[in-house]
Amino acid sequence: MPDPAIDRSIIETLRANFRARLSSAASDRDLKALTDEFLSRKSGSVTALLKHLGSLPADAKREFGQLVNTLKGDIETALADRRAALDDTRAPAGAVDVTLPARELPMGRMHPLMRVRQQVEDIFTRMGYEILEGPEVEEDYYNFEALNMPPDHPARDMQDTLYLDAPIIGGTWGAHRGALPEAQVRAATLLRTHTSAMQIRYMKTFKPPVRILVPGRVYRRDNLDLTHTPMFQQFEALVVGEGITLADLKGTLEALVHELFGADAKVRLRPSFFPYTEPSAEVDISCRACGGSGCGVCKHTGWLEILGSGMVHPAVFEAVGYDPEKVTGFAFGTGIERMAMLKYGVDDIRLFYENDIRFLEQFPL
Amino acid sequence: MRILLSWLRECVDVPGTPEAVAKTMSVRGFAVEGIEPVGDGDAVLDFEITANRPDAMSVVGMAREVATAYGLALTSAAGSGHSADPDTARPKADAAASDIDIVLESPELCPRYVGAVADVTVAPSPAWMQARLQAAGIRPISNIVDITNYVLLELGQPMHAFDLATLTGRQIRIRTARPGEALKTLDGQARTLTPEMLVIADAERAGAVAGVMGGADTEVTGATKTIVFESAYFNPLSVRRTSKKLGLKTEASMRFERGADPNLPLLAMTRALALLEEIGAGRARGPILDRYPNRRKPASLRLRRGKILGLLGVAIPDATVTRILEGLDFRLTPDAEGWQVTVPTRRVDVVREVDLIEEIARHHGLDQLPSTFPALHAAPPPADPRLARARQLRAVMTAAGFFEAVTFGFVAVDAAATFAADGDLVPIANPLSENFAVLRPSSLPGLMAAVAHNRRREQRDIRLFEIGNRFSRSGGERRALACAWTGAGSPEHWEGGARDVDFFDIKAIALRVAQAMRVDAVVEPHREAWLAPGRAAALVAGGVRIGVFGQLAPAVAGRHGLSEAEAVYVMEIDLDAAERAGAGADLTVAPLPRFPSVTRDISILVDETLAAAAVRTTIEAAAPPTLVRIREFDRYQGKGIPEGKISLSLRLTYRSPERTLTDADVQSAMDAVLTALRAQHDAVQR
Repeated sequence: MPDPAIDRSIIETLRANFRARLSSAASDRDLKALTDEFLSRKSGSVTALLKHLGSLPADAKREFGQLVNTLKGDIETALADRRAALDDTRAPAGAVDVTLPARELPMGRMHPLMRVRQQVEDIFTRMGYEILEGPEVEEDYYNFEALNMPPDHPARDMQDTLYLDAPIIGGTWGAHRGALPEAQVRAATLLRTHTSAMQIRYMKTFKPPVRILVPGRVYRRDNLDLTHTPMFQQFEALVVGEGITLADLKGTLEALVHELFGADAKVRLRPSFFPYTEPSAEVDISCRACGGSGCGVCKHTGWLEILGSGMVHPAVFEAVGYDPEKVTGFAFGTGIERMAMLKYGVDDIRLFYENDIRFLEQFPL
Repeated sequence: MRILLSWLRECVDVPGTPEAVAKTMSVRGFAVEGIEPVGDGDAVLDFEITANRPDAMSVVGMAREVATAYGLALTSAAGSGHSADPDTARPKADAAASDIDIVLESPELCPRYVGAVADVTVAPSPAWMQARLQAAGIRPISNIVDITNYVLLELGQPMHAFDLATLTGRQIRIRTARPGEALKTLDGQARTLTPEMLVIADAERAGAVAGVMGGADTEVTGATKTIVFESAYFNPLSVRRTSKKLGLKTEASMRFERGADPNLPLLAMTRALALLEEIGAGRARGPILDRYPNRRKPASLRLRRGKILGLLGVAIPDATVTRILEGLDFRLTPDAEGWQVTVPTRRVDVVREVDLIEEIARHHGLDQLPSTFPALHAAPPPADPRLARARQLRAVMTAAGFFEAVTFGFVAVDAAATFAADGDLVPIANPLSENFAVLRPSSLPGLMAAVAHNRRREQRDIRLFEIGNRFSRSGGERRALACAWTGAGSPEHWEGGARDVDFFDIKAIALRVAQAMRVDAVVEPHREAWLAPGRAAALVAGGVRIGVFGQLAPAVAGRHGLSEAEAVYVMEIDLDAAERAGAGADLTVAPLPRFPSVTRDISILVDETLAAAAVRTTIEAAAPPTLVRIREFDRYQGKGIPEGKISLSLRLTYRSPERTLTDADVQSAMDAVLTALRAQHDAVQR
């Protein structure tokens, strides 16, 4: 053995050796092996150095002894720290494996069409609208005639109607407003083709001002395809009073679109034709797929049609007993499916009616 | 309507690309559904023309709109005579000898009939004419037929040509059809006519269905030497009814039923005869005959500045109003409040002041309008509680793990028949298919179909609900909440506890709904054809059944695309009835109990057929009012229990609002309860 008194490097080698071994020690077993290797009374390498001290001269013994004892202390501290760290990772009594699966709490979902409908209802509630549901089986008068679509009117072709084979009593509405003369459908002959039928029932019952939103199911004789279903959901707004203008309609539509599709959505009104409004306008929003630059989704126009609207036709006011010289009003309506398809990127309307859980569960609570 | 841009440009010198023209016209009310390039920078624009604008269904009609949109003038090619004036281009006199006699028998159904005879040489029309027809989607046939179609496209006047030689008596009689009168139309179909239909006949028989389609027997053929051109105005309603009844829609019927211009037929005839000569197809023989007994005068409307402002929300300068309306061929005479406006007879859609204001808004540009917001002038009325109720039920059901479904309001007859008596179903008169034949008497057929759909797609655990209306002849339209549950009642977990849905799961849902609607309901045994016997119950409130639930009868499940071996539990609650049975919105809070409660458990042996409700009723009747709660916590049958008996364990809770109950109080109550159970049910305490 070389003279340790003059070869301090032996201590540093030992220290370096210990550090290297410690860094790869990850278990109780590793630590035990390390303790034995360096500190064991019989064969520990540090113990061996200490045993050797006795054979040294006194001053070397003191100097070298100090160094060896420091090394020993350092090793003991490092081992204790590592043991404590290892203890911290150990499960306490009664511990559970927190990574095991939770018990499943049942969680259903609202239908996406109802999600959109509720969102629309909330927007209009804040604007001071009365939200109402109307009957789904209707009388011709309310669905067509009073809406300026007398029998044989060509515009009836725009909405292919489903008729009942014999009249039935229909539903009711507005019970919370007391006993109303127009509250019950007495002899329904058809499935309403639009929620506009409620415009008539409401205006025949209440005097202006009117500010209502009517969501609900409507029916048309359309075959199922990518964009059509024989039943779909609409909502319809009607505002009547003194001094209501087309500019008010425009402002209201912009507010609605910005809430539904974000403040950067642009709104365009395009003149169109509906028998029960004059002037009439289709409402487009900037294409959500391309932002308005033109793409396949918007047929390269940059715009997507979302809504029909207009100023209430004076003939409708006359039918319900309002004076068109005194009041004006606007109305607009649209399919909720269309809104939902645009909002959620759904390209097949039938998905809403298959009720496939894998589809439904993609929507948040 | 497909219009060739170069043809349009002959009538108005509009600049720009086809795309630019399409964009401009879209915001003027004529959406362009497609642009089809045809070479040389030319294109076919496919305009969507709304049902109120038959006047725009022509090149000249659209040119007028384009001219107004761009602030341009129409060229002479657009035809200077095509104006609002009914007296323009009157025929000199038809006193001169004609080879044909026109007899107008039904002036109400045919207010005007213009006819002219011409000698012709039938041949193909020139290439330029064929090209224009083809661009519009019309198949060239012969020079004579092509001229009628060319005038239709150019001016919007439907025309027809008869072979004079086929007209018996050299007569054209515009009359209603005779009962049972038959006619073979140009499409080769044999048609049986009814007396309200208008026909164009000769002295003997019908030769054409007026305004709808010509007849095969009077058709112009290669052998035709002399023709009669027809240019008429037919009553819109009459044409519409005839076209509908015959199931025959044509370019002509489409225009007539929407409303043609009664003052156009003569101009169109003049144009057709000119074309005849121009392409060398023939020459008119004799005068133009014009039967027009009651000349249609243009309407005159008031237009007030105040109304424009009131409706649009912005003042439009007089000059703009004048430019737009005059551009569209209206004539304006200023007065104190605005103008008196003469409406061209072709504008069948303009009958009121608002219609004029629409024209102004349209061409002024809706994008030019300000955006304002309607002011509130009255307090909003109370909200409809049905909507809040639907939201609440949606929350209850989703929290219970149910996914909301939306299914169609109509179903197939066999699907419906399970849920309603035959006479109570509401059939649809004109259903799209057998699958949509009757209004649904229940939401359950739709839900079952949705369950089956999911079941076929690897979903085992399915909970669906729907809030919607159902229909019956006796009950009308009523709101309902329905749900269906199959698969796990308690979901799989590594620690165990998984089990399939059972009766008491669906009962919990029914009671939860009742609780949410504040209905004090009890559950009673019930029989229902579509529920499994012995696993069906009714939810009853105040003696009224407000809902039904239980296990779907396996045979019914099988018929609706589900497995008979897998239990499906369903529920349907009548929301209208539940609403009436509910406690409403008013609520008063009860004070909290001030004294502690005492609980006692008892176990009794009773007949296995004895309903738990009967035991409860007996206990309630026997116990003092301090009994506040009864809870069955065990029901056991098997080892140690005699055959035909069950052991039922109940926990009874007592509490007085006035004092702390003593052991003696409770013991005497329990004695009374046990005595009653023994007396009424032969119960033996264990």
